[in-house]
Amino acid sequence: MRLPEIERGDGVFNRLLIGFISLVSRMRLPDAARVAFYHKDFFATPMGAWTQAAMRGPSTWSVGERELMAALVAKWNSCAFCVGAHGAVAAKEMQRPAVDAALADFRAAPISECLKATLAFLEIMTLQPMELSAEDAKAVLHVGVGAEALMDAIAVGALFSIVTRYADTLDFAVPTANEFDRAANMLLKRGYAS
Amino acid sequence: MTAHGRPNHRALAEALRRRVLDGPGMTDRAIRRATAERAAGGPAMEAPYDDLARQLGESAAGVTDEQVASVVRATGSEKAAFEVIAAGALGAGLLRWQQGIKALDEATDAPA
Repeated sequence: MRLPEIERGDGVFNRLLIGFISLVSRMRLPDAARVAFYHKDFFATPMGAWTQAAMRGPSTWSVGERELMAALVAKWNSCAFCVGAHGAVAAKEMQRPAVDAALADFRAAPISECLKATLAFLEIMTLQPMELSAEDAKAVLHVGVGAEALMDAIAVGALFSIVTRYADTLDFAVPTANEFDRAANMLLKRGYAS
Repeated sequence: MTAHGRPNHRALAEALRRRVLDGPGMTDRAIRRATAERAAGGPAMEAPYDDLARQLGESAAGVTDEQVASVVRATGSEKAAFEVIAAGALGAGLLRWQQGIKALDEATDAPA
């Protein structure tokens, strides 16, 4: 269910800001950004800090690879908004056909073996977290993924298990492909810190 | 928060958990904590929070308008209901974080 207060913004400043950004960007400000302005001290600030660090901080994973992980976690959580949003960012950093192939079947996609093994780990973590074992982690490390890189991926998986849940609960409006593409430019430029 | 130039995910996760579940808010901390626990597969809690928390944990795509509207009514405001939703989403996410890190730590024999 959509909450009108998130839609319009809490407080005069946020209402003006949402209106201004929508006007300048000539598109409706996506709901994810509206949540980032809402009750900020309670949630968006600490959530944004971890998300920015995981998605844009130092890592052996590229920004595109991390965005692809986010899109796959969204797919496993059946979150259309997050699949579109993060698939669009990944497509700006990787080849769009590779992103689409990974979203359809990551095991058959033209992506690295390290990324495939990590996605297999994230799939279990997302769908059957209590089944996850040291053997699953060893399988990822065995193909050459470092422990720090796997931790970075686990952070992405955890964060988007959170994001997809509030996105679907709050019934985020799903933008058009063109709007996702334009919003992806903003996410690449501005990042996630709130 | 970085460790040796890298993000300190453990500290960032803990800061998020502390703020949402232990920090000040419009809702009782006990409600937020119980919602997070329920969304992570924990015990049932009082109505109307239980329905929303359980569904959030299992599949948020299946959350209904009525489940959210009931929590808005029970808490008295959209902002308070948002706190409950954030707590539930966080509980499900942190369960996955903890399981992932546990698997990694056991695989590398690192301290928990």
